[in-house]
Amino acid sequence: MSAPLTVSVCGNCDYRAYPPRLLCPRCGSSEWRPQPAEAGIVTEVTELLAGYQRRQLPSGEWLEVTEEPPRLVTVRADAGVHVVARVPAGVEVGDRVRLFAGTGRVTAVPEERP
Amino acid sequence: MSRAARIVGAAEATYVRHPGPEQSTESFIAAAVAAALADAGVGHGEVDGLAVSSFSLAPDHAVDLVWKLGMTTRWVMQDPHGGASGINMLLHAVRAIEAGDAETIVLCSADRMEMEDFLRLTDNYNSVARDYLAALPTNGPNALFAFLSQRFGAAHGLEREDFACLPIAQRAWAAKNPGAAYRSPMTLADYMEAPMVTPPLCRFDCVPVVSGGDAIVVTSEERAAVLGGPSVGVRAIESIFNHDHQDGDGIHSGFGLIREELWRAAGVRPEDVGAAYVYDDYPVMALVQLDELGLVPDRDVKRFLHQALLERAWPMNTSGGQLSAGQAGAAGGMHGLVESVQQLRGRGGERQVEGLELALVSGYGMILYTHGTSHNAAVLERHG
Repeated sequence: MSAPLTVSVCGNCDYRAYPPRLLCPRCGSSEWRPQPAEAGIVTEVTELLAGYQRRQLPSGEWLEVTEEPPRLVTVRADAGVHVVARVPAGVEVGDRVRLFAGTGRVTAVPEERP
Repeated sequence: MSRAARIVGAAEATYVRHPGPEQSTESFIAAAVAAALADAGVGHGEVDGLAVSSFSLAPDHAVDLVWKLGMTTRWVMQDPHGGASGINMLLHAVRAIEAGDAETIVLCSADRMEMEDFLRLTDNYNSVARDYLAALPTNGPNALFAFLSQRFGAAHGLEREDFACLPIAQRAWAAKNPGAAYRSPMTLADYMEAPMVTPPLCRFDCVPVVSGGDAIVVTSEERAAVLGGPSVGVRAIESIFNHDHQDGDGIHSGFGLIREELWRAAGVRPEDVGAAYVYDDYPVMALVQLDELGLVPDRDVKRFLHQALLERAWPMNTSGGQLSAGQAGAAGGMHGLVESVQQLRGRGGERQVEGLELALVSGYGMILYTHGTSHNAAVLERHG
């Protein structure tokens, strides 16, 4: 199940927090409101080529070792935060992507579908 | 009242890749503590303070360890902060001795750690790892440091051949360290042909997961004088936690923010230091520490890698560092400290840095979302 990614915005000073915080780093407020972070630009890419094992994740889900290595990116979201996300093969640095929040992970897909 | 503190002993319980069934976190703690006390010439009954860092002490706490070690203490501390724990415990021990809260404090760090333990630990490292990273998956911190390596490489004009200088240079030091897990020489070809793990990181950019323990003994200047022999004083310690709220790029770390005060308080310059012990969970972070703490002339990291580290074997992580000696969980946060103390006390054996008077030791860790939060550094000085 995934939905568009949201980030927390400080109700007092507009500081953007992702992952969420208790008190605002800038002003100390505890008032937050959600804001969509729908898209951004990929800044770095890597893949998990070795060394990870089939194991049970904290959520209870089983992590399987797949034939296609998991591809991970950092995204500078338009909303002003950076996000670590899982992407399909072919996503490269500089690509614009749409961001989705799943269970315990953010996924991203190319914004322009071929 | 202020009484200077002195480190008078240090020891490492031999790191092993595959611990035997009789070896446990506690057995590594006991071995390291006993060896450090023997190295110091300090009697077991003299110890009146204990600090411990371990990822696998639970359900025990520091005081349970005081009981298991057969001690009575006036001071106790438990520090969960990974790569920053060694120097953090040192800071608090030094202040306790200066204030007279305790006189002879043992610091110890240990973990029995195999790969499944390591992956489970990193998946559950904190709530952010558990809720935002583990399920991606990221396979521990490798992916995050792959991103940081790309960023640092782009900023400093470094290719894989340049990063390679650091693990290769450390492996050359490890050849002279009987306690290192990996000691055979590493060539550039070995590095460039090594299996890739998370590009641009290859196998030799990632620390071997080992089990083991480390311990040091800190006492008062008065007691150190009675014990005789060389001791190590702490000229300065500085720390910073969560400097950038994870908003920064991770390659402009907290070390840049503590550098000025560290050297001002130490009353020496970076050029005066004869050896550096930086936290080498990954080559990129070792370079960030060296650069931001002022040890890279002209901040020319590429030249430093090739000339200082590879060609001249400038003394950095002279045990081989964690990249060659191995990372025994939380003991990784004390490994460099133990090596620096042994070197400053003239116990470096075949790898002794001649005439070493001053050393820098730094710690880094507690990865949050994209990079570490915890940074500290100490300037250590030989006495006697």
